[in-house]
Amino acid sequence: MDEIKGLLNRPKYYNNIDGVGELEAGVGALSFAFFQWTLVRSPAHSAWHSMWVFYIYFGSMWAILHYGTKAIKERITYPRTGFVEYRKRDRVGPTILAVVAAPASLTLIMLAVRRHWDLTTGASLVGLLSAASYAYHFAREVRWKWAVASAMALSSILIAILPGDLIGSLTGHSWLAVCLPSFMLWGPLLLISGAISFWLYLRHTEAPAQDAQ
Amino acid sequence: MNPQIQAIAELDRVIHEPGRLMIAALLFAVEKADFLYLQHETGMNKGTLSSHLSRLEEAGYVEVVKTYRGKVPLTLLHLTGAGRKAFEQYRRKLKEAL
Repeated sequence: MDEIKGLLNRPKYYNNIDGVGELEAGVGALSFAFFQWTLVRSPAHSAWHSMWVFYIYFGSMWAILHYGTKAIKERITYPRTGFVEYRKRDRVGPTILAVVAAPASLTLIMLAVRRHWDLTTGASLVGLLSAASYAYHFAREVRWKWAVASAMALSSILIAILPGDLIGSLTGHSWLAVCLPSFMLWGPLLLISGAISFWLYLRHTEAPAQDAQ
Repeated sequence: MNPQIQAIAELDRVIHEPGRLMIAALLFAVEKADFLYLQHETGMNKGTLSSHLSRLEEAGYVEVVKTYRGKVPLTLLHLTGAGRKAFEQYRRKLKEAL
């Protein structure tokens, strides 16, 4: 029965077989960090604070990540190890979670700002949860990724115990950049991990002859 | 008859064969996949995989669609409603038998 369960989980792991999932997350984290960093360092009347820049920036990032990933999958992954279309049921769950989690997080942040809570602790907790989620989704199948999950967890703890002034100077003492330290650490971590997976994937697979399918 | 033995006797022979069980389990977890993916995941050669797929197709458990990706032939496979039902039943029976 365990073997059947393992086979049923195989397609989930296949999504990141080439490391592209992590590369996508790494670029996403760094672009989000860059936006936050620019936001807290630019004057209040600059274009970075307007909604249309926000929409253009994140719209462009989404398009780059979505079509970039698609291009890599279509040109490299599918011809080498095959194509998979995931069940709608598996795609609906994360979407519903995001739809529920986004306003809940925003409400929590607004509440925290109003009550002057220490947001770095909250950000560290989110970091630990993210590290656990990473371990569950990636490290269970690929053992060396436990090192990445551990580094993510350690960096979250580090952010919590670092002097408040140090974190404050980085984030410009603004709640807008509360996730900036985490994203600055995770972005490169995910990019390195994804790049290693991608390199290993290219090394251990090769495109079959054209009639192979 | 002992219910466990009866459960074993009622196992679907088409799915019970290890190669076809692998294919059914992999296809059960996705909407559809191509021939290359199944070949990569099961480690079977083209001939063996084709023969198992033909058997599953005959039983009405798998639907095979032949198409093209650009100029390259592409074989897409998915588990039919009957195939999904048969696989779920197989798992239930196997659990009972164990």
